[in-house]
Amino acid sequence: MTTAEIIGAAKKEGREYLTEVESKQILKEAGIAVTEIRLARSREEAAAFAKEIGMPVVLKIVSPDVLHKTDAGGVKLGLGSEQEVGKAYDDILASVKKHYPNAAIEGVAVQSMARPGTEVIIGMSKDPQFGPVLMFGLGGILVEVLKDVSFRIVPLTKRDAREMIKEIKGYPLLEGYRGQEPANVPQLEELLLKVSDFVEKTPDIKELDINPLFAYSDGAVAVDARVILEGNS
Amino acid sequence: MAELAHRLDRVFNPRSVAVVGDKQEMGYMWLRGLHEFQGRVYSVQVDERELPGIEALGVKNYTSLLDVPDEIDYVIVAVPRAVAPRIVQDCIEKKVGGAMFFTSGFAETDTEEGIRLQQVITGMAREGGLNLIGPNCVGIFNPRIGLKHAVDQYSGDGGRVGFISQSGTHATFFSMVGMANGIRVSKSVSYGNAVVLDSADYLEYLGQDEQTEVIGIYVEGLRKGRQFFTTLHDVARRKPVLIWKGGRTEAGARATASHTGSLAESPAIWDAAIRQCGAIRANDLDEMIDTVKALLYVKPTTGDRVGLIAMTGGQSVVVTDAFATQGLSVPLLTQRSYDQFASFFSVIGSSYRNPLDISSNLQSVELIVRMLDILNADENIDAVVLEISVMFLTRLTWVSPTFFDDLIEALALYQARSQKPFLTVLVPAHAEREAIEARQRLIDKGIPSFASFERGAKALRKVVEYHRLHSS
Repeated sequence: MTTAEIIGAAKKEGREYLTEVESKQILKEAGIAVTEIRLARSREEAAAFAKEIGMPVVLKIVSPDVLHKTDAGGVKLGLGSEQEVGKAYDDILASVKKHYPNAAIEGVAVQSMARPGTEVIIGMSKDPQFGPVLMFGLGGILVEVLKDVSFRIVPLTKRDAREMIKEIKGYPLLEGYRGQEPANVPQLEELLLKVSDFVEKTPDIKELDINPLFAYSDGAVAVDARVILEGNS
Repeated sequence: MAELAHRLDRVFNPRSVAVVGDKQEMGYMWLRGLHEFQGRVYSVQVDERELPGIEALGVKNYTSLLDVPDEIDYVIVAVPRAVAPRIVQDCIEKKVGGAMFFTSGFAETDTEEGIRLQQVITGMAREGGLNLIGPNCVGIFNPRIGLKHAVDQYSGDGGRVGFISQSGTHATFFSMVGMANGIRVSKSVSYGNAVVLDSADYLEYLGQDEQTEVIGIYVEGLRKGRQFFTTLHDVARRKPVLIWKGGRTEAGARATASHTGSLAESPAIWDAAIRQCGAIRANDLDEMIDTVKALLYVKPTTGDRVGLIAMTGGQSVVVTDAFATQGLSVPLLTQRSYDQFASFFSVIGSSYRNPLDISSNLQSVELIVRMLDILNADENIDAVVLEISVMFLTRLTWVSPTFFDDLIEALALYQARSQKPFLTVLVPAHAEREAIEARQRLIDKGIPSFASFERGAKALRKVVEYHRLHSS
């Protein structure tokens, strides 16, 4: 499905958000690398997808009602065989049903395990005055506690993308602090430009959150993503 | 120029002005403010008790704008808010060039009646195509034609700096404080609640105005944010634009809401917009004045290495901290410069490493100029800063009665032959009155001075950043 079709279908269902699977699909279409993800609706499907994507994989509950997936036992990491995947599928459903008996469950997402990288977040929200604004920051504690983020108004130029990355205080971490794998900054710049271009062309998106994105020396991959749509008006 | 006239040309350059609703209670401030206006002035007032006062000012009064037997380019409206819709209607019918509403009491009051009236006049003006400035503002200042919004503003020679202000006070202050700092206004506007024309429209106008080379903006909120962003992007490419955003804190934003009915805006997003568009941020009137002064009077540079001359040891430390804190560098000089200093500079109680502490060498204007020339020739130095101590100016007059006159002459000559940026810092300390006079005498000769090391350093840093951004 194309981006327009995915958004159209969600709106038809009266949803103002896209699922992680849908969000990643539209990002992929915008040329942004995402971890492979499929929505399994049965134990067998889960095992088949895991084989297809390549193990190890992660299984995650997909439900609009389950807000804290991990706390509800809705996430299983590092599954290396079809047996493990099958068992994890059952365990997740059982545990979620116990924690959220009334939750509407769409299925279980099977996702490839991304190799750990520097955690980055990229967000888009709409400013009442200036319109779409991109945010860039380092993931985890740096963004949550220190609010170490930078902003630019869409559309971004190459210079804007370069400056917004260099502007954050945690920038040395991207250069590979104390022997850590450095991030590929030019590729991150490209990625910001792609996101800018994408949100400019897709006015139906109200908010976009890529968190985390794993940055490596040879690229970056969106590990989780969510999209909020403009209300139907 | 074959360019099409801008739709705001007529209102910014009026040949006829009508004042509606001026009265004794306000001291006829609007009519008085027009005493140097070079065009035709009319009054519109229905209250018979006001007529003698208006006639005493030599202005002809009419009871309706529609009765004025002339085309009207600019209308100043000072009526009670309830009458505002009626005046908007008259302005539309009269096909005026534009109208500024001093009248307040609209959405900024957050009252039902205020909000309703604002909606009424906004709707009428938009539909009728009226260039409505304000309401809740003091309108246009165009010194070349004697159009003012405050009696004490100057008229006659106009300058090169345009100012767009959501606040009337800041528009007036910028013109007056600017005047004392060698900054003259080309055109300025205070625009209040911005219900029809917003900052973006004025920016577009001053952006294409040939008399305006630098633009300052005081803004509390935007009504046409996207248009402002694209206009700023465009204009800032051609002329320096400085932005002073009022209401940067949560409490400050509350104040802007009741001042001009503006919505709160994230300072981080404003900073991004300013940066992206290549504009310059100013945090207050002082920074605005200082940076404009530096843009007008300090030669452009992208280099950040400063040579610092202080008149005493204590100040040599403080000036260095101030410039270094702003991210400017204070390097050692070349050996050639040191050799030259060694040939004449008395090091007893002084030092010439950079910063220079010239305590025991400052009795002679000739020596000061020699030092400036050495720094000017030094390849490690991009810009030269001289402290002028107001306290010493008085003392040096005891040594030579013409010391300051000689110094100013010599500095003007130095500045003319030097290619490097040059600025002075005139710290008033306890001698504020003397400092005002000294600052005026310096700027009259084209020599910029700043009231503290920090302010001079900030202004220099901002222009260096500006020129770097726009040279790459």
